[in-house]
This record gives sequence, C-alpha cells and structure tokens, in this order.
Amino acid sequence: MTSTPGNAGWAGVGRQRIQRIQLLALLPVCLAAIFNSGYQFLRFAADTDAFAGADLRSRLAMSLVLNREQPAIYDYFLAGLAHVLPMLGLALLVGGLWERIVAQQRHRPMEPGFVLVALLFTLLLPGAAAFTHIVFGMSCAILLGKAIFGGEGKYFISPALLGIAIVQVSFPAASGSHPLWNGLAGYAGSDAISIYYRGGEAALTQAGIDVGSAIVGSIPGTLGTTSLLAVVLGAALLLLTRIIAWRLLLAQVIGLPIFATLAWLFGGADELPAHWHLLLGSFAFAAVFIACDPVASACTNPGRWIQGFLIAALLVLIRTVNPTHPDAVVPVLLLAAILAPLIDHAVIAWDIRKRGQRHV
Amino acid sequence: MPGPIDLETRNTSQLGLLGSDYRGVRFELLCELGDSVQAGAAVMRDARRPEIRISAPGPGRVIRVDRGARRKLLSLQLEFDDSLGVVEFKSPAGLDRDSQRAFMLNSGSWSHLRTRPFGNIPDPDAEPAAIFVTAIDEEPLAPPVATIVDAFADEFSAAVEMLTRISAVPLYVCHASAYRPPLDPASAAVCKSFGGGQAAGLPGRHIQALCPVGFAGGEAWHIGYQQVIALGHLLLHGRPWLQRVISVGGDAVTRPRCLLVPVAAAIDELLAGEVDTGPTRVLNGSAIYGRDPLPGQAFLGADQRQLTVLRGSARGSETDVVDALIPGDWLESLAPPGIYPVPLLRALQLGDAERARQLGALELVEEDLVPLSRACVSNSDYALLLRRVLDQLEALR
Repeated sequence: MTSTPGNAGWAGVGRQRIQRIQLLALLPVCLAAIFNSGYQFLRFAADTDAFAGADLRSRLAMSLVLNREQPAIYDYFLAGLAHVLPMLGLALLVGGLWERIVAQQRHRPMEPGFVLVALLFTLLLPGAAAFTHIVFGMSCAILLGKAIFGGEGKYFISPALLGIAIVQVSFPAASGSHPLWNGLAGYAGSDAISIYYRGGEAALTQAGIDVGSAIVGSIPGTLGTTSLLAVVLGAALLLLTRIIAWRLLLAQVIGLPIFATLAWLFGGADELPAHWHLLLGSFAFAAVFIACDPVASACTNPGRWIQGFLIAALLVLIRTVNPTHPDAVVPVLLLAAILAPLIDHAVIAWDIRKRGQRHV
Repeated sequence: MPGPIDLETRNTSQLGLLGSDYRGVRFELLCELGDSVQAGAAVMRDARRPEIRISAPGPGRVIRVDRGARRKLLSLQLEFDDSLGVVEFKSPAGLDRDSQRAFMLNSGSWSHLRTRPFGNIPDPDAEPAAIFVTAIDEEPLAPPVATIVDAFADEFSAAVEMLTRISAVPLYVCHASAYRPPLDPASAAVCKSFGGGQAAGLPGRHIQALCPVGFAGGEAWHIGYQQVIALGHLLLHGRPWLQRVISVGGDAVTRPRCLLVPVAAAIDELLAGEVDTGPTRVLNGSAIYGRDPLPGQAFLGADQRQLTVLRGSARGSETDVVDALIPGDWLESLAPPGIYPVPLLRALQLGDAERARQLGALELVEEDLVPLSRACVSNSDYALLLRRVLDQLEALR
C-alpha cells in the first residue's frame, strides 16, 4: 500500500483519548467509593470492635484515622483510602503483570486497557474482598476476558465483569458476607437489596437507608456502586462524548421501572418497588460502565434498544424470583453480553430482508 | 470574455485529465504526445466501449502522459494554448433517445454520468432505474449552488430537458430546500428537496431515499450540477464550457473564496500564492468529505468543487498498523442512512464481499465512507477497502 487516501493516521490518537475519557468518567465514582468505604468502616467499626484490626486494611485505616468517635471528613477519606488503594493497587499490579507477559509472548506493545479493567473490577468488589480473590479475579479478567480474544476491541464480555463473575461463582460466601460491609452480621447478602428482602422498608430505615442517602451513596454495597450521583456525573461525560450509546442506556433506565412496576403489580406488595430497583444495588453503575461497554454490547441501534430492555427484564426477573441473587446485576449482564451478537445478527438479518424488498 | 457569473478568474498553464476519474475504463489514446488539440476534441476513448469518449478540457498541446503501475493511465497533461480554439458541435439531430444519446457520446458529456452502484460511466445503451441531477452541495465552504445555477439558468434547464429524453425513467433534480432550480414548467423532471446537514448533498443519499439500488441488479445514474451546465452550454452554444467554479478553503488558505478556474486545472498553479508557508496538506474536496490526493492526482477531478488546504503535514502510511474497531456510538451519526456502520466496517476490514453487499455496500462509493474512516479508531481506510470489495462484486456480475 503506497498511499493513505482517506485520513488514516488522524484517528491513531483516538483510542487513547477514549480511554482517558472513560477513566475521567470514573473519577467521581472513585471519590464516592473512597468516602463511602471510610464512612461505612468507621460507622460499624465504632460498635463492632472485633472487626477493626482483623485485616491489613482495617489496621491501616485505624492507624490513619485521628478521631474514631467523631470522625471528620478527612478521617472518612483516610479510612476509605486505606481500603480502596491497596485493592486497586493490587488489581493494577496483577493486571499489568499479565498484560506485560501477554505482550511479550505476542511481541506486541503493551495495551493500556488493563488500567480501566482493574478500576472497574475493583469498584465492583465488596470492600472486604480478600487479596487472593483480587489476584484470582484480575488474572481471569485479563487472560480469559481479554487476552484470549486478541486484546482490546476484540472481547465480547467486559473483562472486568468476567473477573467479578468468576470471583462470585468461585467464592460465593466470601465475596459479600463480611458484616462490616452489609451492616448485618451473619447475613450472606452483599448489599442494601438484601436488607430490604430481610425486613422491608423498616429494615432499610433501621440501616439508615433512604432515597437521599442512596443518591449520595452513603449506603452499604460494593465499593463503587453506591452513589447514583457519581454515576450520573460519569454517565453525562460518556454520553456527551458519545462513547456510550444513549439508546442502550435509556432502554435500561426506562425498562427497569416498567418491569419492576409489573413485578410489583403482579407479585405483591412485598416485592422491591421500582425506585429501590434503580437506587439500591449496583444497577446504575453497571448499566453505565459495564453494560454500555462499546465493545461488548450490541452494535446496531435496534439491537441496543432490545439489549437494554432485555437487561431490565432479566434483572427484575432474577431479583424477584431468585433470592440467592439479591443484586443479580453480574449474571444478567453476562447473559446480555453473550446474547448481544445474537441480537445484532437478528437485526441485520431483518435489515437484509428489507433491503431485498426495497431495491431495484 | 466576462462570463455571466461574477467571480475572480484564475488561469493555469497546465491542464490534466485524471485516469482515476474514469473508473473501469481501459483508455485508448486518440492523440499523440506533442499533438495540438482543440478544446472539446476527443483525446481518449474506452477501448471496450469505443462510443465513450473523453474530450480535451481546454485547447492545448499534449505534453505528458503519466502511467503508473501496470501501465495504468494516471493523467494526460496539456499545455494551455488559447490560439487552438474550440470544437463546434452540431445540435442533436432529433429529440429521440438515440440522437440525444449520440450527441452526449460525441461531445464527451456522457463521461460525466456515473452509475450507482460502482461509480462507473454507464454503458451507452444501458437503461437506468432513475437519473439524479445533484443540484445541492451542503458541504462546509461549498461553492453556492444557487448563484451558479441561476447564472446559467438557460443552460441548466436545457440540459435537464435533454437528460429527461435519454431514458424514459424518472429524472430527479435534487436541491436544497431553500433553493429551487430553474426548470422548464412543462418539464418531466421531478424536483426533490433534501436537508439534514453536510451529507445532504451526496448523491448516495438521494439515490438511497428515492431509488435504492444494488440488490436486484438495477442501477441509477447521477450527474453533478456543473456538468449539467456544461452539457447545456454545448447544447445552446455549440461549444463546451471551459470553466468550473471551485471554492478554495481551509485554515492554511490566506483568502478563502470561490474561483472561476479552467476545467482540469493544475492544483499547484491554482494554489500558488494562496497558501500560508509551513507544512500543509491538500484535500480534494471539503474538510469533511475530501480525500488526500492519490499519486499523480495533481489536477482538479471531473466533479471536484472544492480544494481544502489544512495546516500540518499528512501522517505517513499507517494503514498497515490496523487496530481493532471500537464500535462507539459516534460512528452511528456519520453512517449513510439505512446502513449499520459497525457490521459494514467489520465486513470491509475482513474483505468479506458478500457480507458487505448484504449490508448495503453497493449503495455506497468512496466519498460516503470518508467521515467514518476519519472517526474510527482502527486506522483503516474504509474508502479503499470499500473499493476493493466493490471491485470483487463487480467482477462477479
């Protein structure tokens, strides 16, 4: 090829730009994660002394915090930092190591995408996830989620999602049952949705969860997924830059209340009401950052609508009928990602039929 | 001679016909190196379809015939010499289809028609499904269609009448909603207005909306408004119109404006003194749809209406470092209507001609995919890949 008509070359910087925007969009979520981890830790550490000092992160947090009884903003921040940073650092280290090995074996430059994978993976973990789980999960995310498909832009399930799914399947009890992080000792549910299923609105109130705190994000849950506000900020950036497809996001956000209301009408009043479906659990975070991963979602406009509504329907279905998956976001998104190529295939087949009828 | 249009005129000493403008033509030269030719005289014809002639863009002496790989004709260059004069053409013998077509073929105007799919010169006895006159140009800094067509209103409407007679199929005159081109009130031509941004002037959009082609073997023909005016000029005055209006723009151009220039003028002569110092790159066409010139493409193309000069040098060849495509939402708005960009671009990357055909590749030519090449992070030149796929599909027909 002797020449480059068109403008090959202009776009070369495009991929790094996309990754920078994606990382920037995660910044508010990271801040919310740090503050909320610190807040949850200090709130429960105050009454359950037994857990403080149980592991490295708690000891680190305790040594950093100045005032345990009446913590100030920076106390929350430091305690949160003591929890989030080691996890993120470990995830980055493991991810980077595998990425480097893969790049060496393939004689290619290292792909920078593992930073985003590590960040998303960490933000989907419960605050007390064991270091061994992080090592295992990140290894799976990079190797099984990304490298075996040929790297960035070629996988079909978001690597971070795959890593989390493997951790959840492999260590079902350990991954979400730490009492510090769900506010209820001895209950194997990871987040606020389990609290609702245990005791309804009363239990939520007792755990200090209302609409306001769910929007700000000061509720129990996996690290990065509690704050709707932070997620909305990130989503706005991604939508403005058109990195995520607004149709896919809108379909999920419209679909969830519709199906939740249907389930509530036909399932009875003890089902989770629609607004809690949106506010609690990791739906908002995963809908924006995992489901809308441009590489691993449907790539035709009708397919995006279909996939979005499918995610919403499956999510309500599993949350309603299967109490062992109170949050259900991870299995649903796995299913939806696996179905995305099939949806696209059907959309395209329909389009080809139409084209055949229309053309002269 | 002051023309009917009030624009700064620029002359160049060299003119050149580009081989790349006439796809699929096996050129047979009708002149020798050093010959003097009159403007409008046939200088080349298609060896396979000898009725199709390509006429000299202006009076001059043949000074160079550039050939590239496998002796493919890159350009035929003339040195302008006004004293040689122009060829006079007799008006068509009758109003029937055959004599109208014969007039167009003899005068070289037939070579201005293009088919969709493939973008070839149509066969002299073929029948299209529809003919499109593109009297709209919405690309940034495009020359004003309304001013130019109004200045040549008689020529334009005479040529449209002729085009309605070369075939019994509908003839659409596609125009912007703000401007209705002057037509004979009794004309069989149908005016269709188009809007919707910078892509509204692409013939592919008009054909897709009014007469989608490709799947059932049919074809549509299209022709640009300046070529229609040139045809009308031949009809009314018996001699070819030797000028075209182009706009020169871009951030490296000192005085962006429209110019009246010779047909097939040498680009570097046109841009002399117009461009800032420093590294620049020239695009044939607008900043959105323009493409880097191919090797040997130093003259204005057949339907070229813009020259864009941008600051900064073109990057080197990077098409061999092709990354994976990231199917972002930003590709969606740049895709031609009715086309799913991501599946099509993937099929083009793989060179899967059958899949690309199903996804609508036959509705497109290079210009339709230029914005997608620019927006996609994969570094692929989809215009080039599309042409490869189209060549395969054409060979199968």
